[in-house]
Amino acid sequence: MSASAPLPTLLVIPTGIGCVLGGYAGDALPAARLLAAASGCLITHPNVMNGASLYWGDPRVHYVEGSSLDRFAAGELWLRPVRRQRVGLLLDAGMEPELRQRHLQVADACRATLGLEIGPVVTTDRPLEVSLSLGASGVSWGELGQPEALLRAGSQLKAAGATAIAVVARFPDDPESEALAAYRQGSGVDALAGAEAVISHLLSRELGLPCAHAPALSPLPLDPQLDPRAAAEELGFTFLPCVLVGLSRAPDLVPAAQAGAAVHAGTVAIDAVGAVIAPAGALGGAAVLACAERGIPVIAVENPCLLNVNAQALGLEVLPASSYSEAAGLVLALREGLAPAALRRPLASLS
Amino acid sequence: MSAVGLSPVVLQLERQSGALRPQVEAALAAHGRPLRWAITAVQQHTQGPALLQIEAVVLTGPLSIDAVER
Repeated sequence: MSASAPLPTLLVIPTGIGCVLGGYAGDALPAARLLAAASGCLITHPNVMNGASLYWGDPRVHYVEGSSLDRFAAGELWLRPVRRQRVGLLLDAGMEPELRQRHLQVADACRATLGLEIGPVVTTDRPLEVSLSLGASGVSWGELGQPEALLRAGSQLKAAGATAIAVVARFPDDPESEALAAYRQGSGVDALAGAEAVISHLLSRELGLPCAHAPALSPLPLDPQLDPRAAAEELGFTFLPCVLVGLSRAPDLVPAAQAGAAVHAGTVAIDAVGAVIAPAGALGGAAVLACAERGIPVIAVENPCLLNVNAQALGLEVLPASSYSEAAGLVLALREGLAPAALRRPLASLS
Repeated sequence: MSAVGLSPVVLQLERQSGALRPQVEAALAAHGRPLRWAITAVQQHTQGPALLQIEAVVLTGPLSIDAVER
């Protein structure tokens, strides 16, 4: 697509804020694929890539858990691509035996059918006690009753040789809730997302390993009105396949303090990033602000969500884009060394 | 009794000049180690600084994984 060198680019679509694109079951994946092609190197997070039973492997995409992405943007971490990770599986003791067996069978399927290296499996020493909540703005947050049990199990996996961790926590079933019905019909917030983020953030930050989470839930009754954006979550019994595939080639997280001696071909640091892309109303997150502080161009995409924290409100200079297609054009322009202003009219005189 | 805790936090913060991220992180540090945060609303004033609403989950308790290992 481009003869120019790749332009490492961050794509952020925050989880649990009801984005019309990217607020559902991996429905930002087509945009991510386009941006990976335009940039040649896309760094993004599980909420963008995870479509439950559906996923898409692309060597140009770096799958980086949200808090690690924030630390990368802040210059605290570098990303080191690997051929494969050994993905440890962390299971919540709160899962019923049948649900647990379903998840173990997914792991076996990914070993047998995709050739992934998965294991060992560790079960927490007590149920994790996940609960869901909404913040003052309506954004999905969540809580974890037993964070120590999560960290103990993660620590066991790391000691046993896991280089990445897939977590499955039992989430509360609420099949009759209005919020779930709205989400399935394409008009609500993913109520699970906030608690999922808390789990993976905690584990990744404390262990320094790539981590991602899949919620364990009982299957839902058929919904004839199901929105296509939520459909990927209703194809199977678990949300685990995309997590195992994403983690299987997630880059190592290298603390910047150690990176100097460990640099090798392909290692990516924030200094190399040429653009960050985020919803125009959700610019108030750590990764976007860290990039803006460094003078990295911020591409603000029209992607309605619950929030209205836009460039004007924060005093940021951004490149506006009406869609992810337009954002891909801007990324390609930056990659080719074109000034984005030259592509817009009117073009003001210098004098 | 769990020594490591996760607490939701909602803050209202007057914006000061300079980079935003350090201001938010400094304000959250008084409540614990920020695990996840976002500016979720901005209230502009004709006079005086804008008011930022910050929602977060912070970690309280031991600072190291070693502290939770048996």
